[in-house]
Amino acid sequence: MRRPTRTEARNARAAAGFLLPFLALFLLCFIAPIVYAIWQSLHKTERTGPLGLGGAEREVFAGLANYAQALADDRFLSGFGRVLLFGAVQIPLMIILATVLALLLESASARWVTFFRSAFFLPYGVPGVIASILWGFLYVPGISPLVKMAQEVGWDVDFLSRGTVLWSIANIVTWQFTGYNMLVLISQLKAVPQELYEAARIDGANARQVALHIKIPLIRPALVLTCVFSIIGTLQLFAEPMVLRPLASSIDSGYTPNLHAYSEAFVGNNQHLAAAEAVLLALVACVLSFGFLRLVGQRGKEDGR
Amino acid sequence: MTPVRLRYRIITCTLLTVAAVYFLVPVYWLVVSATKSSGDLFGSFGFWFANPRPIEYLGDVLTYDNGIYVRWFANSLLYAGIGALAATLLSAAAGYALAKFPFPGREGIFNVILAGVLIPGTALALPLYFLFSGFGMSNTYWSVLIPSVVSPFGVYLCRIYAAAAVPDSLLEAARIDGAGEWRIFSGLGLRLMIPALVTVFLFQFVHIWNNYFLPLVMLSDSDLYPIQLGLTSWTGYADRQPELYQYTVGGAFLSVLPLMILMTVLQRYWRTGLTEGSVKA
Amino acid sequence: MRTYDTSFPGGARRRSVLGGAAAVAAGFALAGCGDGGDDKKAAPKERKEGQKVTLTFWSWVPGIDKPVDLWNSKHPEVQVKVEKVSAVNGAQYAKMHAAIKAGNPPDLAQIEFPVVPSFLLDNGLLDLTTVGGERYKGKFVGWQWQQSVFGKGVYAVPQASGPMGLFVRQDLFDKWDIEPPATWDEYEAAARKIRKKGAWIETFAPTNGNRFAGYAWQAGAKWYAAEGDSWTVAIDDEPTRKVADYWEALVKQKLVKTIPDRQNAWYKDLQTGAIPAWLGASWGDALLVGNAPGTKGKWRAVPLPQWTKGANAQANWGGSTTAVFAGATYPKDALDFAVWLNTDPEAIKLLIEGGYGFPSAKTGYETSDLDVHKDFFGGQAYSEVFRKAGDHVDTSWQWGPGVDTLYQRLGDAFTEALSSGESFRSVLKKVQAQTVSDLKGKGLKVESGG
Repeated sequence: MRRPTRTEARNARAAAGFLLPFLALFLLCFIAPIVYAIWQSLHKTERTGPLGLGGAEREVFAGLANYAQALADDRFLSGFGRVLLFGAVQIPLMIILATVLALLLESASARWVTFFRSAFFLPYGVPGVIASILWGFLYVPGISPLVKMAQEVGWDVDFLSRGTVLWSIANIVTWQFTGYNMLVLISQLKAVPQELYEAARIDGANARQVALHIKIPLIRPALVLTCVFSIIGTLQLFAEPMVLRPLASSIDSGYTPNLHAYSEAFVGNNQHLAAAEAVLLALVACVLSFGFLRLVGQRGKEDGR
Repeated sequence: MTPVRLRYRIITCTLLTVAAVYFLVPVYWLVVSATKSSGDLFGSFGFWFANPRPIEYLGDVLTYDNGIYVRWFANSLLYAGIGALAATLLSAAAGYALAKFPFPGREGIFNVILAGVLIPGTALALPLYFLFSGFGMSNTYWSVLIPSVVSPFGVYLCRIYAAAAVPDSLLEAARIDGAGEWRIFSGLGLRLMIPALVTVFLFQFVHIWNNYFLPLVMLSDSDLYPIQLGLTSWTGYADRQPELYQYTVGGAFLSVLPLMILMTVLQRYWRTGLTEGSVKA
Repeated sequence: MRTYDTSFPGGARRRSVLGGAAAVAAGFALAGCGDGGDDKKAAPKERKEGQKVTLTFWSWVPGIDKPVDLWNSKHPEVQVKVEKVSAVNGAQYAKMHAAIKAGNPPDLAQIEFPVVPSFLLDNGLLDLTTVGGERYKGKFVGWQWQQSVFGKGVYAVPQASGPMGLFVRQDLFDKWDIEPPATWDEYEAAARKIRKKGAWIETFAPTNGNRFAGYAWQAGAKWYAAEGDSWTVAIDDEPTRKVADYWEALVKQKLVKTIPDRQNAWYKDLQTGAIPAWLGASWGDALLVGNAPGTKGKWRAVPLPQWTKGANAQANWGGSTTAVFAGATYPKDALDFAVWLNTDPEAIKLLIEGGYGFPSAKTGYETSDLDVHKDFFGGQAYSEVFRKAGDHVDTSWQWGPGVDTLYQRLGDAFTEALSSGESFRSVLKKVQAQTVSDLKGKGLKVESGG
């Protein structure tokens, strides 16, 4: 391979033409802010002047001080513990529910498939902030018809207590995203050639066996995809606790790492610490999602070649 | 029908119905509550009507503060519609290039784009704000539109789909016929990628429609707000002006309605393209 | 990457608090993407006779358009454009800080009293004395004017205050044969009686730092003081401890609820009478009217309970200013507008209609103008209660930088204490230490007082 062929040169030119518009904006809207956030996380503000008012304000290099401060903050760390616990419980539950619903809808026994599919998918059209306001009304004791009905059958339930509120948030997320994940799985099921099922059936497999031994292995890639997105989404959990916070005294300003970073930046006006926390958050998301891909095998690495 | 099949059918339908109740109950609550005053919102049983006056209350939502709600709605359509369209085209071009043109550094670029998904939006918003302010573009339509047209997930999807659905032989044939790369892409590539493009469009449309944080940081003029931001800004002042609670719930109902219809009607398209990527992933 | 420097010559000129140092620019540019600053906010200008200018004004209150429209119709040369920013979870202030940093703040904004010092920290507000603002001092209630005075500078024009008082359901109190409490001891006794009837007198909302500050204010606490070149923070002082002990006792005896106030569940309790009283403020009338319309005619307002019988110590909860940003291009005109908005009788009338609270202006309205919801209070001239309270607010209370963070810390600590059973005193101790370190972290000189 001595000379770059004409095809190669041509390829590079054409690829650049197609890629550049996206890359330019990607650079502007992703890379530049990330670089800036990293830069910010390594600096701090220094003030001079009497009372700190009216004097000069300078950004000085702080090394890893912001990271050290973030990692020394118990509440920030316990926020991580909380979302990990949340993910360990909620993600499997949601994925299992989505898988079961997808399999049921695609099974021969199902009726009114279009109606059910629409009903399950509908919550995805409700934005997170609105969904949280909505569920807020269904959680608050005294207003919630759910609590009222529970109390009438003698069950004194409090959705917003310290012990339950995390699972109340999990419910909102499950409600919103199960239908979406289900649809992803259904479309993968549809991609499986029908003959495969027929063959299995002729071999005498019943519906459950077909589901367990043929369908689930075949939709494995889609399951991996939904899991990875769920992991990332869970780590970035933010809107739900933010909206529920005023309703529940059990949610503090550092309930999730993302909420903690937001509080630092927006309430405390301390963007340097917030940037360090965001970088840590992204790192953990990176480690976990790639860790997950590795865990489920090499298939994830081979895609897109 | 055999007893076994009948049993399966009963079990299946029961399970599906239980799930449907779970997913629809909050929606039902929203429908009922949109007909209530603030007082009844807090004072009456949530799953049943109390002095329903849907026309009057929803009319109030639409006319409050000189009809600002309608404007927010139009803004949301603009951000989501134009943003998603532009995002789709950009992703298509980028995905096509990554799939069909081997060049050095291709995988590196692709991985960097994918890693973009990992960064929390809350962390990007403030730096973006400073950046746009630097260009004098904060608090404009552009400040929300431009970041919305970048969709790493869209590129990912388009690349996978183009790799599978656009045969190299077809491209070669077109090249031999003397067609330019741009013409091949716009005439052939885009057409073959349509299922994936519809999916990217819908995905990005919902993503922009639901985005709350970026407009919150970028916009200060409520005339530019999208609907989510407008509605939450109402709740921020509701303790002094309590009818805003009822407007928020009514407004939420109205905003969710078209999106829900859209979702339901366009389900077919979600299905077709959505996991073309994950088939291989 | 280029060197990054926030201070650059030739930017907006500002006076420092003590009139000494030269100004710092608010310009900012992304590292590597700019040239050290954004220069479009030029030095303050004088408007030429006949020149037309437009000022931007950030607020989040729905009713603000009306007085602004009135101003615009009267002042064709100085048009004011209102931009309504979202005020969810304090987002409006985050936006203002960001705008200052980015070098494009509005000309004016509504800022609540406790938050004013936070803006001095990033040199965000114009010292009004540089454009002759001190001459308006006499138009406003003394202590409210004083809230925005730091060093020799004046940093905002007061708009409204929120003198505190106690709202009670007179019908229920009568039925249960309870007198509205005049002292905190009587309040506790009333709480006990009410509890026996199956209701709760109040909620100790753990996340409401604002109101807790009001209690402390009434008890004689002084959380912040600026002396010499350093701040003194004294959240864990004697009066605040007294307040904390008092409420801890109520909570431990289960005489008060601990749900958040001014939220769904609380409104429901107001409607049903499950909570028949509220330690609120003058602006609370609209809130009760709107959220518990079924209780019309049953409410009355009485003064805050006192620590010692016959005393008259009052406190403030809420209240706003109109501030001019340091980046304002036409500061004189901005100041004129701010003063007009808060002193002109017609403007005040519109603000009162908008539910802004008790005007900070001395004249231009009658107390009875504020009795907008008289029927709801059974015909009581309830605003008189708050006017009198306003006259006896301890005027030496001062806010310091970072009050938002303080509220958040208090809320987090109280929330934790409620679940762990920790003492409220330990909350104060913890928050005191955190606040001192927060301020140090901001590069300020801080001493621990109390």
